[in-house]
Amino acid sequence: MRFFSIILIVFCSGVMNGQDISKLVSISFENVDKKTVLSRLENQTDVTFYYLEEWLGEELITKEYQNVTLKTILDDLFSDTVLNYYFLKEKEVVLTSNIVIYDNLPDRFFGEEKDSLVVNKPKQKIAPVFYTKKKSLNEAKISTIKIGKASVYSKEKYELSGYARNFTTGKPIQNLAILVEGKDLVATTDKNGYYLLELPAGENILSTTSLGIADSKKRVILYNNGTLDFDLTESLEVLDEVLLESNRDENIKDVVTGKEQVDVEASKNIPLVLGERDVLKVATALPGITTAGEGAAGLNVRGGKADQNLTLLDDALIYNPQHFFGLFSALNPFTIGKVDIYKGAIPAEYGGRLSSVFDIKTKDARTDKLGVEASIGPVTGNVTVETPVVKDKSGLLFGARGAYANWILRSLDEETLNNSQASFYDAILKYNHEINENNKINATGYYSRDDFSITSDSIYVYSNRAFSLRWDHTFNDKHKGNVLLTNSQYKFDINFDGDSNNDFNLGYSVEETEVKLQMKYELNPMYKFHYGIANKIYQVRPGSIKPDGDGSIVTPFSIPKEKALESAAFISGRFDFTPKFSVNAGLRYSLYNALGEGTQREYEENRPRNEGTVTNTIQYENNKVIETYDGVELRLSSRYIIKPDLSIKAGYSNTYQYIHTLSNNTTVSPIDTWKLSDLNIAPQKAQQYSFGVFKNLNESTYEISLEGFYKKLDNIVDFKVGSQILLNENIETEVLQGEGKAYGVEFLLRKNKGKFNGWFSYTYSRSFVKLDSEFAEERVNNGEFFPANYDKPHDISLVSNYKFTKRFSLSANFVYQTGRPVTFPVGQFILNGSEFVVFSDRNKFRIPDFYRLDLGFNIEGNHKNKKLAHSFWTISIYNVLGRNNPFSVFFVADDGEIRALQSSVFSIPVPSITYNLKF
Amino acid sequence: MNLENSAKRRFFRLCCILLLGGLVTTCVEPFETEIESFESILIVDATLTNEQKQQQVLLSRTFRFNEEQLVETGAEVGIVDDQSTRFEFIETEPGKYLTPSEFTAVPGRDYQLIIKTAEGNEYASDFRSLTPVLEIDDLYAERTVNGQGVLGITVFADSSDPQGNAKFYRYEYDETYKIIAPRWSPVEIEVLSKNPPEIQFVTKTEETRVCYGSASSTDVILASSTEFDEDKVTRFPIRFLSKENFLTQNRYSILVRQFVQSPEAFAFYETLKEFSDFESLFSQTQPGFITGNIVSRTNSSEKIIGFFDVSSVSSKRIFFEHIDFFPEGPPPPFINDCETFSPLFFFLGFSPLIDALETGFFTYFNVNDDPTPDEGPYLLVPKECGDCRVLGSNKVPDFWEE
Repeated sequence: MRFFSIILIVFCSGVMNGQDISKLVSISFENVDKKTVLSRLENQTDVTFYYLEEWLGEELITKEYQNVTLKTILDDLFSDTVLNYYFLKEKEVVLTSNIVIYDNLPDRFFGEEKDSLVVNKPKQKIAPVFYTKKKSLNEAKISTIKIGKASVYSKEKYELSGYARNFTTGKPIQNLAILVEGKDLVATTDKNGYYLLELPAGENILSTTSLGIADSKKRVILYNNGTLDFDLTESLEVLDEVLLESNRDENIKDVVTGKEQVDVEASKNIPLVLGERDVLKVATALPGITTAGEGAAGLNVRGGKADQNLTLLDDALIYNPQHFFGLFSALNPFTIGKVDIYKGAIPAEYGGRLSSVFDIKTKDARTDKLGVEASIGPVTGNVTVETPVVKDKSGLLFGARGAYANWILRSLDEETLNNSQASFYDAILKYNHEINENNKINATGYYSRDDFSITSDSIYVYSNRAFSLRWDHTFNDKHKGNVLLTNSQYKFDINFDGDSNNDFNLGYSVEETEVKLQMKYELNPMYKFHYGIANKIYQVRPGSIKPDGDGSIVTPFSIPKEKALESAAFISGRFDFTPKFSVNAGLRYSLYNALGEGTQREYEENRPRNEGTVTNTIQYENNKVIETYDGVELRLSSRYIIKPDLSIKAGYSNTYQYIHTLSNNTTVSPIDTWKLSDLNIAPQKAQQYSFGVFKNLNESTYEISLEGFYKKLDNIVDFKVGSQILLNENIETEVLQGEGKAYGVEFLLRKNKGKFNGWFSYTYSRSFVKLDSEFAEERVNNGEFFPANYDKPHDISLVSNYKFTKRFSLSANFVYQTGRPVTFPVGQFILNGSEFVVFSDRNKFRIPDFYRLDLGFNIEGNHKNKKLAHSFWTISIYNVLGRNNPFSVFFVADDGEIRALQSSVFSIPVPSITYNLKF
Repeated sequence: MNLENSAKRRFFRLCCILLLGGLVTTCVEPFETEIESFESILIVDATLTNEQKQQQVLLSRTFRFNEEQLVETGAEVGIVDDQSTRFEFIETEPGKYLTPSEFTAVPGRDYQLIIKTAEGNEYASDFRSLTPVLEIDDLYAERTVNGQGVLGITVFADSSDPQGNAKFYRYEYDETYKIIAPRWSPVEIEVLSKNPPEIQFVTKTEETRVCYGSASSTDVILASSTEFDEDKVTRFPIRFLSKENFLTQNRYSILVRQFVQSPEAFAFYETLKEFSDFESLFSQTQPGFITGNIVSRTNSSEKIIGFFDVSSVSSKRIFFEHIDFFPEGPPPPFINDCETFSPLFFFLGFSPLIDALETGFFTYFNVNDDPTPDEGPYLLVPKECGDCRVLGSNKVPDFWEE
């Protein structure tokens, strides 16, 4: 701004008096700095120089001038610098850095002078470079470099050249793309690392990008031709698609289609039920990710079933990442570092689920000093501690969270419920150790558990356990890899201990152990590969029932355990054919073996499977292969940058899934069991095509994306009407495997910067299932496509946050969804002397639409430097409008009359206050 | 397996409770819907048996909740076998179609049910053949405690098929019980004139002290030998009567009919049964339309409810008395306390006694030996206490054995 006002003053001050300029000066300097030179000139000529000392540099001058004008001396002195000078008025000289001060307006400033004499000289446009410092928080981080010395006869374009080298190795970087933001200009370094770029004069934002090299960004103010060298560091994970830090053009440049990220830190401002921070709930506000209902467990991604999501916590699978029937996520929000969600082309290293990957990574523990974070809300208390173990090398992260919901149940008037209890907790322990530059070890342990009991005679317990150990090793510049060992378990128990003689204990568990080796190889910066193998062993105990207590008449019963081995090999490569066009191609081969010991039935072909069509029962010995399935999975995605702020992406992927949840409920419940593919249950398959357009506006302040997808599913698991699942030894007689199809369009508008930020998403998507067979008993809805339970065509989410000051902010969420499909009773009938109800075709009707508004007010503690702890308050109101959103509609017979009832989860506004503390 | 249902039911309730805990006023409330969801569907109740009798087919339609059952009249109903013999049915009362003569299903033949409604829609079942013929091995009653901890008598059935062909059973029962009016009088009051009140005593001509009540099963009772060890049904509970159940106050008899079912018919009835329990709707189990084996020939997408099965039937009857199982007594109480009351014979120009008798709810029991000033001269009791015909038939059933 200062320069600009000077220029204005100049324009106003009129024509200069150049009287002293012509005066001749004789002067000599010996080993003095420029400051001394200027002060001696001041003494001798009576002129005063105005300048900033830092412009002058420390160069020592030895010069002699005899009878020359001051102008000559100054020209000579500043010839090798970016300094210009200007005689302001008598005896005052202003020095400027880079810029030149104009004392007359450019020719034709006031239009063409028609009568002027045409002078035949090369046209030299005067194009002054104006530069105003913009106040923008994000841009402040970019360093500004001024290049070249302005001349009065400046040009519109100058050449910028230079050299890019690897900061660590000192070697030149070839094929580094240098992009000029907002302008369609790109340069690439040659094999020696040199580049040449013609740039408009003035401000340019240069960003560099290359595989294996950390992206960089510089603001260049160009006054003349000049040079700019880049010393760049390697990016840590060469081929990892995951973004380690938020980059404002990531959405444009990322090659992987259908990828979402949840900003864990920003999610603390989003008001959620009972003040619980929850990354999974935030994910449902993103396009393409929904739940079957408010408080329903399980996520549905792009029209997929809830069992088709691979939820990984530090690479270990979590079977049921939700507490309390889905009201809260079982992932401690304070320990999570980042969440990447792949809903389109899933990278080849992941497999085993059809619809999505939720790759959740915990933060690395601090290795410098102790950090503690704690929060207290109406339902849970949470504490996270980070401590160094070996300073600057290793650290330990411990997070624990517990719910004290029992007071809610105890405070009830209802006497029969006084004995009810519901509680949950989860704990996570992580150790990260950087042994040396080339070796790093991470170990994570996780446990979560829910206990609930409605009546004094039954207790339900379900728990997740996960463990992962990962060793990252760098072999050389081009080759690095990691070895992973993970183990996960999910189990539930139902304990019934009443007064009668049928007390029982029912148990279920699924466990998996995986070893995975992944390698990353960089052939050159343009072609990089990622390959590896994985082996996973599953063990399912599908259920057992035992009498509980001496008097129980329950007969002990147990379904034999199931075992299977899933092996996979994968290779993927990222190919940057040009800086604009990149392809990420992956191939995964998965091989599944259902293993004995076990018993399998064979059924008559072309007959419905039931007790009557069993032809053979086969016994398998331990580890004998019962059945083998395999599949080649292709994962392709490509990106083309049309303009630096506009790109298009397309993807294709196919996936196989060998383990399925068995649920004949309309929504997910914690006592749904997982079943391995076997002789009679085939793996599920899916194919997805996706296409997207990504556009950034206004210097990436706004990100817009529009993505479309079409998905085809095969062998998805469903059930005959009214089937029994729990403790069913011959579940294949109840299972139906059918087709599915889903398609949709997802729109996202996100504002990342400024006081007002957040996103708006709209998804139109449909999801259908078809269960057809030549036998009526294996057909649903006459063998035609019908809407899936989670088919919600319109889904709108608005997440917004307004920062009044650094300390106070207000946030609001709004959700609107089409009501989910339901099956209604459509009449009554009498058969065999008994009254029955007849139901409509499956999912023929819909419950009323869902909408909800939540408000939150966040108060940050003050930001005094010396303050020991940093505090944060969240006051939120969930469902401000008090909308009574039906969760389900059902019918009951009451005094011989049938009535329709609806149940809802939160039908009135729910206020809460949460206090967070961090030090 | 009811465990699953009860588990889910409980689970669902918890959600409500959490919300009731001061957070939410209600979580379940009436659902107001504009949705017109009624569908009129033909119901076919047809089981051809190997019993020598007039075979029966019942046709009805679905009806709106809380309304009366609608029957399907005017249809042409027939069963054809694989030798193209057609057995016609004749509508004897609305919706009830009987063969004019007795006939039985024969093993080794395939039968198909064909229906043509009055509107001209045609329906046909698939071909079914007679299921294996099997006797009930044993039918017996025992003193037991049921799942709810109630003491009583359970009627059990045992069945087994040495060939292993019969695995699925459906049971129906008819129970008959002797009723003895506890406050019976050999005479009754005959009203001669209301005004002025005038009565006379007459000796009852009809049997009104000992009657026989009867009832049929209203549940779908299904058993499968696959749920038992050794492929047989043992100690399968058909009927539970609590120690206090009036039906066993005197001699009780139960006739159990065992239908050997095809696996498909069994699956159909099993699913029906699952959804007949309204309570289970709380559990969010995925409901749906239950497909039988009858399809429309005129409109393939039309829904029909019903399963035409050709079942072998065997039956067994047993008799027992309460004292056989509970010699210590006491016998179950009568369904009414049978308190007496004595309306005045004449009061302010009318007769409360005659008015009470004319309601039909009371009958004469005895003379009021020691009336208070506001009592009349005779003791009346609720009608069932003095006239057993209210509760049953006074005709001794043919099968009855004392």
